[in-house]
Amino acid sequence: MANIPADLRYTKDHEYVKRTSDAAVVQVGITDYAQGELGDVVYVDLPKVGAVFASGDVFGTIEAVKAVSELYAPLAGTVTEVNKALEGDPALVNRDPYGAGWMIKLRPKTAAELDQLLSNEAYKKQIG
Amino acid sequence: MLLTERQLEWELTREPAGRSGAANMTIDASLLAEAARAGRSFVRLYRFDPPCLSLGRNEPAAAQYDRAAIARLGLDVVRRPTGGGAVWHEHEVTYAVAASIATFGGLRAAYHAIHARLAAALQTLGVATALAPDRPTARPPDRRGSCFATPVGGEVLVGGRKLIGSAQVREGRAFLQHGSILLAGSQEMIAAVSREPQAASAATTLSKELRRQVTWDEVADAVVRAWGDELTPAALYRRLPPSTALFADPFWTWRR
Repeated sequence: MANIPADLRYTKDHEYVKRTSDAAVVQVGITDYAQGELGDVVYVDLPKVGAVFASGDVFGTIEAVKAVSELYAPLAGTVTEVNKALEGDPALVNRDPYGAGWMIKLRPKTAAELDQLLSNEAYKKQIG
Repeated sequence: MLLTERQLEWELTREPAGRSGAANMTIDASLLAEAARAGRSFVRLYRFDPPCLSLGRNEPAAAQYDRAAIARLGLDVVRRPTGGGAVWHEHEVTYAVAASIATFGGLRAAYHAIHARLAAALQTLGVATALAPDRPTARPPDRRGSCFATPVGGEVLVGGRKLIGSAQVREGRAFLQHGSILLAGSQEMIAAVSREPQAASAATTLSKELRRQVTWDEVADAVVRAWGDELTPAALYRRLPPSTALFADPFWTWRR
């Protein structure tokens, strides 16, 4: 059973958004359900700090076993940090998707967009 | 997430003549784009001519393979849009399936469904194929080692050895899965151009299993017969890819 924490927000494409200690910045990664579906992650291709995305833009790709999948920006915003640890240890996404396996930190263009994302209950319903 | 498989109409192309690695990857990528744009579904059966070394999209190729040796041997080399490890394409039927993600659902479901169809096709030729268990007992292949070094869940095996090597990419609402159905030969070329010793290949071939020569047409016919849905001849790429620029570019091939 996948871990879907109540304090995060989700997209239908299996990204999550987590608030950080900086109120203007959120953490983005993929959900526990998504990492389980993908299998062992072997490579994560992430953007550069400063990259600007619209909501739904492709911000990177992830390769697991033999498949490359796109990663979508859950919110419009600017990348303030990328998780360099994934270069050496991409399996962090499998082991700790909501913690050490985070992907990017994003400064959202508008805070209101966050409220439009799925709650944990809505996301759970989607993944069945 | 795992949607029910729908009865679909697939557009089929058969290309026994063979093309370069860059041309083949350009066509596969264009099928993916067309599947994403228009929801069309494609099955393509093809081959490589000249024989070609293909690298996985994210393989650290510059560190792993001897580029000078590849040049010295005059090998065609291309980096695929899909994941996974290196493949030596020589004696094989290469397949590509591009369709909307909703066709088969999740990643593993698609891998299984396509391989089940291919396995059924090969069974009609008399090969006792089986699909690898979903969760492999060993870890999946690390970055070193060819595509055929270790089977992963859902791949087509004969007696525990891998007969088909496949890889996938998902973009937007569509996916491309392509792979090699080995007719004969070996994957030893990969070891020959590798900087470090490679894991022994766990591959087998149709000729080895059936103890006779197996032809490209024979396998292509079997796949078409066993596909299960309606296959209609594709109006061959209504818009042919404008050029092979990306996949012919050494910067892409050796980008990492």
